[in-house]
Amino acid sequence: MDSPVNENLARREFVKQLTAATAAAWAAGAPRLLSADDASAIDHPRPTADSCIVLWMAGGMAAPETFDPKPYHPFEIGLPVEKVMSTFRSIDTAVDNIKISEGLEEIGQVLDRGTLIRSHVLPDLGSILHSRHQYHWHTGYVPPQTVAAPHIGAWMSRVLGPRNPVIPAFINIGQRLEGVGENEEIKAFTQAGFFGSDHGPMNLPFPEEAARAVKPPRGMDPGRFARREKLLKEVARRGEFSDFRQESLARSLENAHRLLSSKDREAFDISLEPKESFDKYNTGRFGQGCLLARRLVEAGARYVEVTTEYIPFVHWDTHANGHETVDRLHKEIDRPIATLIRDLEARGLLDRTLVVLASEFSRDMIIEGVPGSTAKDQATAPTDVLKELKHYGMHRHFTGASCVLMFGGGIRKGLLYGETAPERPCIAIKNPISVRDMHATIYRAMGINPATGFDVERRPFYATEDGKGKPVQELFA
Amino acid sequence: MIRFHPLGLILTLVAFTGSPAFAADKVDFAHEIVPVLRKHCGKCHSGAKKQGGFSFNTRNTLLKGGESGPAVVPSKSGDSKLLERITSTDPDLQMPPEEARVPVEDIARIREWIDAGLPWEDGFAFEKNNYEPPLRPRRPELPPVRQGRDNPIDRLIDARSGRGQAPLATTTDAAFLRRATLDLTGLLPTPARLAEFLKDKRPDRRAKLIDELLANDVAYADHWLTFWNDLLRNDYTGTGFITGGRKQITTWLHRSLVENKPYDQMVRELISPTAESEGFIQGIRWRGEVSASQTNEVQFSQSISQALLGINMKCASCHDSFIDRWKLSEAFGLAAIYASEPLAIYRCDKATGETAKASWLFPELGQIDPQAPQSERLKQLAALMTHPENGRLSRTIVNRLWERMLGMGIVHPVDAMNTEPRYSDLLDFLAVDFADHKYDLKHTLRLIANSKTYQQRVETQRRDDSQPAPEFGPQPRRLTAEQFVDAVWQITSAGPAKPDAAVTRGGAKSAGDKSVVGPLQAKWIWSKAEASAGAPAGESITARTVFELPAAPTRAAAVITCDNDYVLFVNGTKVAADGNWESLESVSLTEFLRKGTNRIEILATNGGAGPNPAGLMFEARILVPEREPVIVATGESWNWTASKLDGNGRFAKEPTDWKPVAAVSNPGVWAGRFGEEAATALAIALDPNRPMVRASLVKSDYLQRTLGRPNRDQIVTSRPTQFTTLEALELANGDALKSYVEAGAKNLAARFAGRPDELIDWLFLFATSEPPSQPKRVREFLGPSPDEQAIEDLLWTVFMLNEFQYVR
Repeated sequence: MDSPVNENLARREFVKQLTAATAAAWAAGAPRLLSADDASAIDHPRPTADSCIVLWMAGGMAAPETFDPKPYHPFEIGLPVEKVMSTFRSIDTAVDNIKISEGLEEIGQVLDRGTLIRSHVLPDLGSILHSRHQYHWHTGYVPPQTVAAPHIGAWMSRVLGPRNPVIPAFINIGQRLEGVGENEEIKAFTQAGFFGSDHGPMNLPFPEEAARAVKPPRGMDPGRFARREKLLKEVARRGEFSDFRQESLARSLENAHRLLSSKDREAFDISLEPKESFDKYNTGRFGQGCLLARRLVEAGARYVEVTTEYIPFVHWDTHANGHETVDRLHKEIDRPIATLIRDLEARGLLDRTLVVLASEFSRDMIIEGVPGSTAKDQATAPTDVLKELKHYGMHRHFTGASCVLMFGGGIRKGLLYGETAPERPCIAIKNPISVRDMHATIYRAMGINPATGFDVERRPFYATEDGKGKPVQELFA
Repeated sequence: MIRFHPLGLILTLVAFTGSPAFAADKVDFAHEIVPVLRKHCGKCHSGAKKQGGFSFNTRNTLLKGGESGPAVVPSKSGDSKLLERITSTDPDLQMPPEEARVPVEDIARIREWIDAGLPWEDGFAFEKNNYEPPLRPRRPELPPVRQGRDNPIDRLIDARSGRGQAPLATTTDAAFLRRATLDLTGLLPTPARLAEFLKDKRPDRRAKLIDELLANDVAYADHWLTFWNDLLRNDYTGTGFITGGRKQITTWLHRSLVENKPYDQMVRELISPTAESEGFIQGIRWRGEVSASQTNEVQFSQSISQALLGINMKCASCHDSFIDRWKLSEAFGLAAIYASEPLAIYRCDKATGETAKASWLFPELGQIDPQAPQSERLKQLAALMTHPENGRLSRTIVNRLWERMLGMGIVHPVDAMNTEPRYSDLLDFLAVDFADHKYDLKHTLRLIANSKTYQQRVETQRRDDSQPAPEFGPQPRRLTAEQFVDAVWQITSAGPAKPDAAVTRGGAKSAGDKSVVGPLQAKWIWSKAEASAGAPAGESITARTVFELPAAPTRAAAVITCDNDYVLFVNGTKVAADGNWESLESVSLTEFLRKGTNRIEILATNGGAGPNPAGLMFEARILVPEREPVIVATGESWNWTASKLDGNGRFAKEPTDWKPVAAVSNPGVWAGRFGEEAATALAIALDPNRPMVRASLVKSDYLQRTLGRPNRDQIVTSRPTQFTTLEALELANGDALKSYVEAGAKNLAARFAGRPDELIDWLFLFATSEPPSQPKRVREFLGPSPDEQAIEDLLWTVFMLNEFQYVR
């Protein structure tokens, strides 16, 4: 296929800009790469993926209701709660030894293109605050931290740069940062931290409105926008501003203008998708987000995250009515995710695009945290017998094991990795993978050494905690 | 050719002196030991690196050992842990921990070396010793005055310039006015202030200006609040507030700045706080369990070290620092001062079994009594921190002020005060001078601003790193997010009405003095009294009053609203317009009124599709020297005509149908809505000291975040110096700036109607303190009667200019 992007050119340009940026950043006391001032001086692994899409199941996706089903019991009044391990039946998938929950048939049919991990183990952080675990998963560091830890997307932006210079390297789809609960805590990790705002996310909470983010302002026709730019060029005192810092304004405006007037910006406009294809994705905001992610990766995006959106007690954060809520979520995620994988494959992009589905932890009907945790129970559903349908579901936060899906980007196909106990507590009993090693695996695929470190406030800060993340080699083809 | 060898010089020396250290012939320290240690161990245990607290950088540090005790016993290789570790195969013990094992033959050399009594080359260190900043104040002797430049800063800089760097030329008055106003108050100088300053030919005009700026308590406090909020991680929203795990110090901080509280007193109130200032040492508590290096006690240790001393205690909160001299016990000792219960020491999140003993970092100046109660310990720490002999406190803060004013710290970066200063005499002088002046922050700012060094033209750095960093002259600095937004609000008048920060800005004055206004007298008027019940849709009237003023007003303002639409003209100039019958506007009239006869005309239009209520209300207070305020208010003395004024405030021909207006029969339709609000709005509009709501006083939004206002979960003392594509994107099409530009264009279109040249001059002088570089091109762009769109485009363009975006 035709690569839409000249990778080398894009990278050269990026590095060229980076050099100036690095010097200026240093002047401000900003982080420097530990080994040298040039990103290429660190020994990075050869990448197996050029782009990364993270599908974020925000709020705690219950593994037993999705990708690690356990014995099913239909709802009945008076049923002892301990008997209910899953509230959905299991179904077969395209891979012989893998069963997943009913409602995820389409994903089941593409599982032969990727790896299912059932042993992602999150630490017990005491009383559960979703945003803390999300911070941990997205930065690799448990908050609070003494410096602002960068998001995994910011690491990719900082170390790899954009694939296509006009498409921002880190794009975050589906999460509102204002007007939702815990929004300050979400903002705390949805950022580039000490890398500075250049590597921060372009945040697109509503996929339908994404196109507007890269268009001239509302109510301004292209002609007027161009006239504005022209006036600026004519009025600016160019010659007197040879200072490299001050040149950054003109350069950035040119970049922005390039994006605002380039053909690449059409990638942001999901209304341009043929109707048949659009409909396949359109199960709501998340489905549209998957479509937007595909279009952006086609146009040369580096890191795209699509979230089901974290809002306390909504979506995957099922404190009550778990069964019904997850039934709805199955419908929202099943077809778009399967379509995303198939579309990437059909376009020849899957081999170089790493798709990761993950969540901050799993859920259980009885156990809060893990056995022995000091976490305070936050659900009101009884733990003895079922009385009402709204009590039927996984209403407690479980950190003992969660599921991760990985597709493409050099990951093995049709692999099942890790295992959880057949009985409660369903903790990981085989091949546990920590957040640190999960990140190391993702970085490994993207060609980033997990020990990549930056000097921040004169101390080292690494892509994975203490630089010690180890990629899980068995996951690679 | 001679190959470079790190020991070359030493070996030469040895050859001539026959140092006794080399008496043991069979061990060649330089050739056999140094390379082995450097290769296998040097990465973690030499120079500034002290993994496990152990460094063999010098023979002394080697003998001192590390956390697990002595590493070597001279002449006893069998008792030496170093040898044990490099020969071990236990993964938990072996050294180096991960890389290839030390070859057998090299181990043999090390053993011989230990057994030979550790021969060492005198004075040899693997790396040059780390700089250790002095603790006590130092009073450098000031060099003689050269060429009349008697500011102590200039005397010091000139002495240095003698070594080759000539001072740069002094900046222009206009540029100086802009720089000083932005640096000291965060605001742009108004065009009026600029004109006045350029007329001022007194030799001490710059010093006078600096005094005037620093005397503006509220503007100074509003601006510097940004710096202090960053430094003390204070904010109005952020992590921690959700679960009550964080407390603001806003009210205390802002008031301290307004009052220019001495810095030592501020520090005492931060460390040994009142309920108002305790938020700083309390830190942020997240729900759930946190790492032992992030408990509130350890946050205390880190925050006071970083903010007040420029010491990085973050490494040492987990283990003895590898990068400087601070130890785990010292980080926890500081934390224990704050701890209300015995504090267990954790090393990398594992309990060491020890309990921290409350202590501070510089026992040379005195020590904390660990037995004293917490409040007493905090008082002791406050006293030690502000001890006159603690030069590190004053050096740290004056360096931060220098960095704010000039663009680069004397020690840089400003949080790493263990870095060797670029000019110790300058730093030390500023620090003792600050203490001599009772820790007066404004004194040091005044001293810096009055120096010729500060008043130089900016140094431009043409290339990134190929040119040496500029020395001590001012560098171009980006406006902070807050300065940028404030400047936009100054020009567009589009700022918010209320701050989010709980601050008192100048007491009752800022809320407006209603006694100046008194009771409002305006009546709701229209052509007929029945209009409050219904007037024809689309009916327009022009209402007019003419009055005399005995003198030009000192201040004048009005409130106005209309159901549905009005355009206000004062002496033929369009001053305001609005089409929302539910909103009330307040406008300044000062510059539109004059001595003698004045004319106010309002074109009022009813809206709707069928007959509906119509009414107009206007009331002004005009303050004239030594007279009672003149009241101009709508009432039966006004006249109306059905003829309409055009956009330039002119009638096609003078109407002949002037008739007295009617007070509407039922003003209650609107009066309830605007009664109190109108009086308050008028009082505020008249307030001469009415400070604009500043960006530093409102919660951060996307625009400010994009422009670099940090999320204050951590102490962040530097802002981005360069622009980024995402920022440019937000500036090009973001909603916030767009709405400011639109509101501004509307205001300015009304204010400068028919006078585009005046608009251009005013805008460029306000935004950049310079006339436009291409006036002709700008005039062409606007045309003779620009619409709001054209003005929007011009505003946006000006906001994107480097001349606007930088403090130069």
